[in-house]
Amino acid sequence: MADSADRYDRRAFLGRGAATAAGLALAGTGAPALLSACGASSPSTASSSTSTAGVSTARPRLGGSVIIGMSSDIDGFLPAQSHFDNTGLTYANAVFDTLTSVAADGSIRPHLAASVVPNTDMTSWTVTLRPNVEFHDGSPLTADVVLQNFHALKTSALTAQAVTPISSVTTSGDLSITFNCVEPLVAFPAYLTTQVGYVIALSQLDSKSGSQNPVGTGPFKIVSWEPNDHFTVARNPNYWRKGLPYLDTVTFKPIVSDQSRESSLRSGTIDLMVSHDPGIIADLQHDSAFQQVTDLHQTHGLPDMDFICLNVSVPPLNDLTVRQALAYATDPAEIVRLFGRGVLTPNTSLFPPGSIYRAADNGYPVYNPTKAKQLVAQAAPRHGGNLTVQLIDVTDPRQAEIIQALQSMWQAVGFKVSLGQVQQVQYIDQLVGGQFQAAADEQFGAPDPDLNYVWLSPTTANPPIALNFARNKDPRIETALQQGRTHADQSARVEAYQAVDRLLAEDLPYLWFSRAPWSITGNTTVQNFANPILPDGTQGQGFGGGVFTPGQIWMKA
Amino acid sequence: MTRYIGARVVQLIVIIFFISVVAFLLVHLLPGDPTVSILGPNDTVQARAELLRQLGLNKPLPVQYWTWISNVFHGNLGISFLTHQTVSNAIGVAFPIDLELIIVSQLMAFLVSVPLALAAALRPNAILDRVATTSTYGMLAIPTFVVAVVLVLVVAVKIHLFPATGYNPIAQGIGPNLRSVLLPSISLALGSVAIYYRLLRADLIATLQEDFITMARAKGLSTRYIMLRHALRPSSFALLAGAGLSIGSLFTGAFVVELLFQLPGIGFQLIAAINSRDYLVVQGMALVAAIAYVVINFGVDVLFTFLDPRVRRG
Amino acid sequence: MAEIGTVAGAVEHARGFESLQGLAEPAPVVVEHRSGLGAVFWICFAWVALMMLLAIFASLLPLTNPDYQNYAVVNTGPSLHHLLGTDDLGRDLLSRIIFGSRVSFVIGFASVGIALLCGGALGLLAGYRGGWTDNILNAGSLVILAFPALLAILVIEAFWLPRTLLKLTIIFAVAGTPSLFRVIRATTLSFANREFVVAARTMGATTWRILFRELLPNVVPAAVSFALIGVAVAIILEGSLAFLGLSVSLPTASLGNIINEGVTNNLLQVNPIIALWPSIYIFLLLVALNLMADRLRSRFDVRAGNL
Repeated sequence: MADSADRYDRRAFLGRGAATAAGLALAGTGAPALLSACGASSPSTASSSTSTAGVSTARPRLGGSVIIGMSSDIDGFLPAQSHFDNTGLTYANAVFDTLTSVAADGSIRPHLAASVVPNTDMTSWTVTLRPNVEFHDGSPLTADVVLQNFHALKTSALTAQAVTPISSVTTSGDLSITFNCVEPLVAFPAYLTTQVGYVIALSQLDSKSGSQNPVGTGPFKIVSWEPNDHFTVARNPNYWRKGLPYLDTVTFKPIVSDQSRESSLRSGTIDLMVSHDPGIIADLQHDSAFQQVTDLHQTHGLPDMDFICLNVSVPPLNDLTVRQALAYATDPAEIVRLFGRGVLTPNTSLFPPGSIYRAADNGYPVYNPTKAKQLVAQAAPRHGGNLTVQLIDVTDPRQAEIIQALQSMWQAVGFKVSLGQVQQVQYIDQLVGGQFQAAADEQFGAPDPDLNYVWLSPTTANPPIALNFARNKDPRIETALQQGRTHADQSARVEAYQAVDRLLAEDLPYLWFSRAPWSITGNTTVQNFANPILPDGTQGQGFGGGVFTPGQIWMKA
Repeated sequence: MTRYIGARVVQLIVIIFFISVVAFLLVHLLPGDPTVSILGPNDTVQARAELLRQLGLNKPLPVQYWTWISNVFHGNLGISFLTHQTVSNAIGVAFPIDLELIIVSQLMAFLVSVPLALAAALRPNAILDRVATTSTYGMLAIPTFVVAVVLVLVVAVKIHLFPATGYNPIAQGIGPNLRSVLLPSISLALGSVAIYYRLLRADLIATLQEDFITMARAKGLSTRYIMLRHALRPSSFALLAGAGLSIGSLFTGAFVVELLFQLPGIGFQLIAAINSRDYLVVQGMALVAAIAYVVINFGVDVLFTFLDPRVRRG
Repeated sequence: MAEIGTVAGAVEHARGFESLQGLAEPAPVVVEHRSGLGAVFWICFAWVALMMLLAIFASLLPLTNPDYQNYAVVNTGPSLHHLLGTDDLGRDLLSRIIFGSRVSFVIGFASVGIALLCGGALGLLAGYRGGWTDNILNAGSLVILAFPALLAILVIEAFWLPRTLLKLTIIFAVAGTPSLFRVIRATTLSFANREFVVAARTMGATTWRILFRELLPNVVPAAVSFALIGVAVAIILEGSLAFLGLSVSLPTASLGNIINEGVTNNLLQVNPIIALWPSIYIFLLLVALNLMADRLRSRFDVRAGNL
């Protein structure tokens, strides 16, 4: 399914998951998880006063196995060729390592790399690898391997776009690689935490069946992968981090139906599960038989957002008044109240509340149906007297409800709205090709705002294929994005992205509802599924955007 | 007889050929193509064109069809554009799942419908008959996906005996295997119970009017003996024919159950492949499902010819 | 002789055999013959008629607009204002079910009706004529039957947007024609060589006359019986399609769409009546139809009445 990535998720299965899956995986994982240990943010975990869900500081037990229910399956293990949605990234975290990782406080720390150091003007980054690291097939991790990995990314139609800023790569010695960029690329380390940061062995790169047989440096090695059924891995005895992993085996089971996945957890068929559905999240949240971690309170980076994407290049949506009317007619608080099951909160910005990049008052229209009607009256004569909008989404039950509610809200102020539910492949086709008016979408999860450049920039808004689906060509946004990309100074970046926030609220290519919720829920035997410790000792981002690392999970006896 | 079988086999082949053509055409006529699934939104026009060329999808349709079908004759069903697994492998995983689901569910359906029909046919229109007819018809009247969801919520979650999802292959033990197919099979069996019950009951009632039954009674044989030894066999044709139709269509028809119970059978994989425009997988699965249907019904026909010499072929 | 290989064919085989056993009619089946159709029949008839009237005149009834979303009454139980409660978007369930039943009625009856007409006409022809006509039509029906309907439906629906009631009806009719074709063909075959047909042919009756005057009346009971099963299957199938999101386009209510809404998004635990009411409705409707059909058959056709 188009989203072959998020595909086997029932919603994706039937079509949903949208751009998140395909290709957007490159935008990376969601923001770092809220780990209560850090104190500042309140834990959104179902925990008792003495322990925190998903976090365990007790002494890990070595051995045992865990069964994890995933929302989708993947189509292959080649970072340069396969779509890594949240499932793909999680699988990859089991068998591969990224060069850098996100820490709990949002900063980027070295992981497989020992260090990532820029030159003075940030146009060149030198990555130094750790010595004596071996792949599962015994071959050594060297700079040349990383070079070959990058070459694969650069030449693949799938990933080339994401690595365009990097113009060339040189190695020096066995452990040092330098990435040269055309212009300063401040967020380079963040890129290395995503799909493009995984390093795989040459044997997998060169193999014909490479997409089915991962060979990496990760904590586990593949035992078997049966698409739609299971993915089983076993401990890598030569893992470069001594003492890890704790488990003997991990079995991932894709279960497309959310309901069935929850039932599987409750019936003991699986120990741990990922879910994207507010209803399921709410159901398990306060159940003392389970421990749950969600990413809803993260403020670092960007989470996936649920919103309506408006095609600014087609009538009547090319008329700003019309877009404003739609914004005033939409009540995100009501949508969240109806479908958020108490788990979601409304959000009207690209950035989540608490994010440093969020403008204090971005000027996004507040729900006001009266004003919307006035605007409709104003704009209608310019479009032949009637404002008609077609709203599409992927065949997904929750989205289906949301678009029905939106239809009602928009019609209440005078629009004529027709709905369409399309399969994922068509959906992406339409978005990319611009054959849509309004589309319910989920996008923008990334550890750093710069990774969303391709989706927001006017330079990618041109036919025939535009990654800036909304096709919003505001030169001011380009200026701001460039500032964020090239200025190392944090305050300059903050200023840049806050400008983007305000400009988006002014141009209105997106109508926001809320951030997309991800949760991971386990029974009481699974320990430490949201608390990885990074090689330098800092606490890693435990869970975000539906992605976690199985490497430090252990099971109680 | 041989002539009959021969003629039917020819008919079979012609039908399967037509189905292969239609399946091929249908999936190629779908808007979109696998490049979107493979490349996602990151594809440029050139990349798409290049990928289409690599996959052989830029050739004219008849050429593509011929390439595919000639490969099929050599036993090569192609590979999935997405997972790069061979289609044969995918079918090898999917087919046994469906086979087992069908066998178990239809057995269950027989176990319920046959005794019920036997009992009801003895006294047509009496209370048992009425209740059985109505309740079996009622089973037909509940959508499968409601049954499946309720079964899981009530049985799997409350009684931890059966897994809520997943298929445990026989290789891993017959116990876990049977437990994993029980709930899905019950969901599938319900619809069949009604049909089998009605068919068998109707035939039994007609058979019971026959002279030879009267004679058996006159001889003093017990009702049970008569029912099981004399009445059941000649009355089972409609049942078998109905079973053939049912079973044949379940290979793809079980998709709802497969989705909800996460059993990667033919229906499940077919939907996924159609959604991602994985042409070869779709064509392969459609072909296999069609062959299964046709062969099973053919088998039923041949069975009748053996069971009842009076059946004449025109 | 009826060709075995179809449900009805097998049934007719059993009966066809009887017909060869001599010219005397076999002993009549012991079925109570009551004059009149009985109370149960009329109760069912009244129920079905009421449901159909409600569906037909839905727009004239004092029902809330089925698409009207009232967020103040989301997921409420039965109350004075909302006799069956409301759904997840605050829409009145009673209203949605009545309007939704339109879809089911049309799909169920219209598609089966069309299938009956087309499949029936072809079946009569094939059964009576035999030879190449029969071979071709029969093979054609097998192609449609053996073809995975799933694929066809998914593809057609992907093309043929938006999904209206008319389009769905046509799809179902096309899918149902081969089954009814085979049923009627088999039944026709069992009657085609009966003495009264032979007699009519000897007397010089035209094919059409034989088809319509001699064969048709005898074929109708079995046809109706299977058609009614077909109605049940069609109505349920609409539900399965809704599960895949392939029934009538939202926000149009159909029983399948409502049930699907009720079992997804965790609503089965939050508000189970959304799925419950339409399921009960379908259940009662189909059971009533079945009882009526049974009674009709046992009253009017002694032998086919056993089905």
